[in-house]
Amino acid sequence: MATQTPIILMKKICKTFPLEIGGEQQVLFDISFKIMPGEFVAIMGPSGSGKSTCMNIVGALDSATSGVYELYGKDITTLLPDELAKIRNEYIGFVFQNFNLLPKRNILDNVMLPLMYRGLPMEERISRACEMLKLVGLEKFETYLPTQLSGGMKQRVAIARALAGNPKLILADEPTGALDSKMGNEILKFFKKLNHDLGITIVMITHEFEIAKYADRVIHIYDGHITYDGKIPKNESVLTASEKKAHVK
Amino acid sequence: MTFYDIAHESWLSISGNKMRSFLTVLGIVIGIMAVVIMVAVGETVQQSITDQFSSLGTNTIMIRAGAAQSAGVRTGNRMTLTMDDVKYISQLPDVAAATPVENSSAQIVYGNKNWSTSMVGAYPGYATVQNIEMQYGSFFDTSAVRNASTYAVIGPDTAEELGLPKNPVGEIIRVRNTPMTIIGVTKAKGDSGMGSQDDMVIVPITTLKKRIAGSYFPNAVRMIALKLYPDADNNVATEQITALLRQRHKLKDSDADDFQITDMKQVMETMNTVSGYLTLLLIAIAAVSLLVGSIGIMNMMLVSVAERTREIGIRKAIGAQESTIVIQFLSESILISFIGSMVGLILGVGLSQGVGRFILEYNVPFSIWPVVVSISVAVVVGLASGVMPAIKAAKLNPIDSLRYE
Repeated sequence: MATQTPIILMKKICKTFPLEIGGEQQVLFDISFKIMPGEFVAIMGPSGSGKSTCMNIVGALDSATSGVYELYGKDITTLLPDELAKIRNEYIGFVFQNFNLLPKRNILDNVMLPLMYRGLPMEERISRACEMLKLVGLEKFETYLPTQLSGGMKQRVAIARALAGNPKLILADEPTGALDSKMGNEILKFFKKLNHDLGITIVMITHEFEIAKYADRVIHIYDGHITYDGKIPKNESVLTASEKKAHVK
Repeated sequence: MTFYDIAHESWLSISGNKMRSFLTVLGIVIGIMAVVIMVAVGETVQQSITDQFSSLGTNTIMIRAGAAQSAGVRTGNRMTLTMDDVKYISQLPDVAAATPVENSSAQIVYGNKNWSTSMVGAYPGYATVQNIEMQYGSFFDTSAVRNASTYAVIGPDTAEELGLPKNPVGEIIRVRNTPMTIIGVTKAKGDSGMGSQDDMVIVPITTLKKRIAGSYFPNAVRMIALKLYPDADNNVATEQITALLRQRHKLKDSDADDFQITDMKQVMETMNTVSGYLTLLLIAIAAVSLLVGSIGIMNMMLVSVAERTREIGIRKAIGAQESTIVIQFLSESILISFIGSMVGLILGVGLSQGVGRFILEYNVPFSIWPVVVSISVAVVVGLASGVMPAIKAAKLNPIDSLRYE
């Protein structure tokens, strides 16, 4: 394990946003953690804690103000927007809260989209996308539009799209936020299965402890600081206690 | 992304919003159609000018008797040209044929039919000068002029209006109450409108002056028409004629010409230049509508970028580079412009050819350059109107775009 390259290595990441009224606001303070291949990690925290900003940096959608971010051993802190786009396409599969499927394209087209940007030939795109749809159990819905599917099915399409590019990492931002608890649980079990059976690394952002419990490890962020990083505690009070501790510090 | 991907994506985006795309395309259709039709109108006018002159010949020169002027005020027509002038001009080396021309009008009666038309009194050389060919019979000869014979050559339209038999040679008509024998019918030239050569009666000038009009000045000539040999230079001939007439009229160096020479070649060139400018003006006006159409595309693309902010965010999140987004939006605007241009071209050519051939019964010339212009315009307008929205789309921040509602 020691020789294995971490999927994500964050060293003293800080993020500052300029304010419209002038001045700036720091939302992340010296965030450092590493995530190894095959881990299922939940990044947790209340709203405004900085967990979304952290996710954007992890997802190469945004870059840090200072610190070093290595994705699969490659320093991507200072890459240009187009280079980041390439990284996202090759290494990361996104699953969003509100699915973010293209509403006017059918399911197959949606799943093939990242493969098109990768420049794969059409036959390969189709076979890969069909394979992924089969994996999420939607092989019969290829020609359906996203609007014709239920929320849970849409999220499974989104997962198929995230998996299509054969990424090292699935980044799920509140993946059950727009689903009822039954469907939400189904999706979470599916993530668990992907992680367990296929060994795919999953980083999931959530603000609910019940959801975070599906992961093996939780990184709790509060006010831009990591207050807890470790195995899922028995109950949430451990995490809230860590927030208070951070306050005392 | 392959070319197919780009075209496919563009088509899906455009067809995804049919009404808006249709209206945007319509702007370009109208613009291109207007340009194509205006080009056709311009070329038709030029063609018709050339046709009219080629029925006359550009190597034709007209000499008119000068107007009488007193202290710069026109006081009447002066008969400065004479039959002798015609004789001497026709002896010039460059002159193929020369004829005096006396224009008049005539009321012609045949049986119970009555027709009012124009009448020309001339020499036999008139047939050469005006490129007249005969359908029936023949043109009158010099003896008819000498004898002031009551012979008439009529146009085919005149023959039809008078209800004459198919070959009317030998029929007697009354021209301004003078009975005349038809000795020939000219071949139809197809020109129409004012001064049509298909509707007129041509008689020997002596007959017109002596028998019909009863002129007091049988030797005076209002106008001389002449034709030059094909290899003759119009300018040289004009100079020779001017010198000859000035000498014959005994004009001093300080005197102005007492005649006016009109070189048909010059007239045609002037008319062509004028019609060329008119065509340019029409095209410029049509181009404005094309410009409006292209602003329509830009507007639509800007709206489209705003509407599809989230889509752009998704595409960027899953790996679309800025250049890919630029290409996608540019190709959408080029595709719209291209479809509009092609439809506009087809409609424009179809309308101008259709209206020309079936309604005006005129052969509208078809030229290739509206096609070339349309295709170039499609690309240029598409690029020009798409660049700004495409760059705007590409520069969108993926995080903000994904949050966009």
